[in-house]
Amino acid sequence: MQKYPKIVKRNGKRYFFRFSLVQRVQHIILFTTVITLALTGFPLRYYDQPWAKPLYEFFGGIEKAPWIHRITGLILLGLFIFHTGYWIYLFFKNRVGRLIREKTLTLKNLVVEFFSMEMIPNKKDFFDLVDMFKYLLYFSSQPPRYDRISWKEKFDYFAPYWGIPILGPAGVALWFRDEFTQYVPGIVLNAFYIMHTDEALLAVIFLFFVHWYNVHYSPEKFPMGTVFLTGYLSEQDMIHEHYEEYERTMKEEGLETEIIPQKH
Amino acid sequence: MCSLRLIPIALILFFSSSIVPVNVVFAADELNCVLCHKYRGLSRIDENGEFRLFYINQGIFKKGPHKRIQCKDCHTDIEKIPHDPAKKVDCTVLCHLTEPSGNEKFTHKPVAEILSKSVHGTATKEENEVEYPEDFPYCTDCHDQPLYRPLSFFKGHAAGVSERGLSRCKTCHRTGDFAEDFYNHVTSRLQKMRVSNEIVNLCAKCHGDKEFQQRHGLQSNIVESYRETFHGKAVYFGSDATPDCIDCHVVYGENVHSIAGKKTAGSATHEANVAATCRASECHKDAGEMISQYQVHTDYNDPEKYPMQHYMLKFFKFLMAGVMYFFVTLIFLELLRRLFPDFSFIKQKKETHNSTVTTAARD
Repeated sequence: MQKYPKIVKRNGKRYFFRFSLVQRVQHIILFTTVITLALTGFPLRYYDQPWAKPLYEFFGGIEKAPWIHRITGLILLGLFIFHTGYWIYLFFKNRVGRLIREKTLTLKNLVVEFFSMEMIPNKKDFFDLVDMFKYLLYFSSQPPRYDRISWKEKFDYFAPYWGIPILGPAGVALWFRDEFTQYVPGIVLNAFYIMHTDEALLAVIFLFFVHWYNVHYSPEKFPMGTVFLTGYLSEQDMIHEHYEEYERTMKEEGLETEIIPQKH
Repeated sequence: MCSLRLIPIALILFFSSSIVPVNVVFAADELNCVLCHKYRGLSRIDENGEFRLFYINQGIFKKGPHKRIQCKDCHTDIEKIPHDPAKKVDCTVLCHLTEPSGNEKFTHKPVAEILSKSVHGTATKEENEVEYPEDFPYCTDCHDQPLYRPLSFFKGHAAGVSERGLSRCKTCHRTGDFAEDFYNHVTSRLQKMRVSNEIVNLCAKCHGDKEFQQRHGLQSNIVESYRETFHGKAVYFGSDATPDCIDCHVVYGENVHSIAGKKTAGSATHEANVAATCRASECHKDAGEMISQYQVHTDYNDPEKYPMQHYMLKFFKFLMAGVMYFFVTLIFLELLRRLFPDFSFIKQKKETHNSTVTTAARD
């Protein structure tokens, strides 16, 4: 699948491929729905704060805002289902397909392939974490050399990927509480209520402080990293954030001689 | 020109009429009580040191439910003018009005009887349960006349008055204010007289009072816990289609004064009836029987009564604290690292350490 060249040159600078169009569109849907859900949800959680009522009124007040929240929630759940189908499709196409071609399709190989997918946390992430702490606490002058997806990005990825299954069904159950209580005791709704609001608070605070630090506030990125729009990351950022992948890609593309050292 | 010059004078006269009390004697005021009570400053400090205002805003009184009642019908102890300090009004006295269906004198007594048998009355209680009789509400504790909350006059919550509907009555009922009176009488009872938020605040006057709760052994956060539910929040944001206290604590179709405790069989909140109460409203009419197990008045600080909610909330608090402390520390360290990018306590061979580790890990 050579649809996206690994390295492109624009104005004499190298850019490295990271996200396909399908992935970028998924991210745009993800953040638009999450922000809308937060804006139509948190005025209810913090109903007695001075900002709550005006914000809620902006979204149509108690008559309309809940509907915006519900429909946006459905879109996000749809995205979750699409994304799950998407990675399963990629897994079969790229990995299971190869195993079949090579006639090595065993359960063991399947499990190995599953755990070597780029988003699945692995041993290297643990060592990267150790290296990062060594570096941050001044026990080493060598920053960690992250591969294609760093442990931080994996955490960023699994935050919504475990958050949506917690928030979404809870939200749907609270929405259809009448039908729900035909089969399940009402106290489960109490539990869902806590899950829905508290997991949402965790997600929003995490996104606002940590994810936005990584892509907006940090000195290299401010005011905004552009990889989520272009799908390509600059050479400078690749060296800073994904040195191992950078080195490998440069070698693969026959640019071994032009590799810039991590600390320069 | 002459008529133009008169305009300012006419304007002054027009506006002054709304400032200066108008000396209008209403039909109900045969004793001319407003002769004195029309003055806005008519007040005194009573024996308990409380400020009492005796001004009667006739504009509001005329719109109120008692506009056809004479002052003396309720203030029965007043025999002479000027009068002595009047006693508290007894709402169960017989009015001079005749109730048209039975042709008998009207009284609020049936309501008072329902109230006295309810959780808010003393009639059906053991003596030891009435330890604080002064805490039990009297009619006027909840039914504060619009007169005594003058600002509500400006809120414009008129009870279902449709000029078009009224015009149909007036075609035949031509005499006096008959059509208006009865139209108002009926339509005001077809809908809530107060917005839900006002009802909650009304109940909270007693039930939100910490000392009151302790005196009667009631759950401490009953108002706050309601406010924390979707019902409470929707009501706070002005929804009228969402239940307030009365909607869940009165058996559907019964008189609102008949509120009974949740231990009383047949009460709206008795465990056998909760589902029926939820289903009675438009919102949850298809709800399953198990909706009754939803806990409305949850106290998150009470691990004995609400263990699941208490520990779930704790779990999320710890999760949040764990995640956020970790990452905020990380961001802080990262920013700090930029100050001395090349410094290290431990000298190392250049570039080798990490490569070995990562290669090993990849294998």
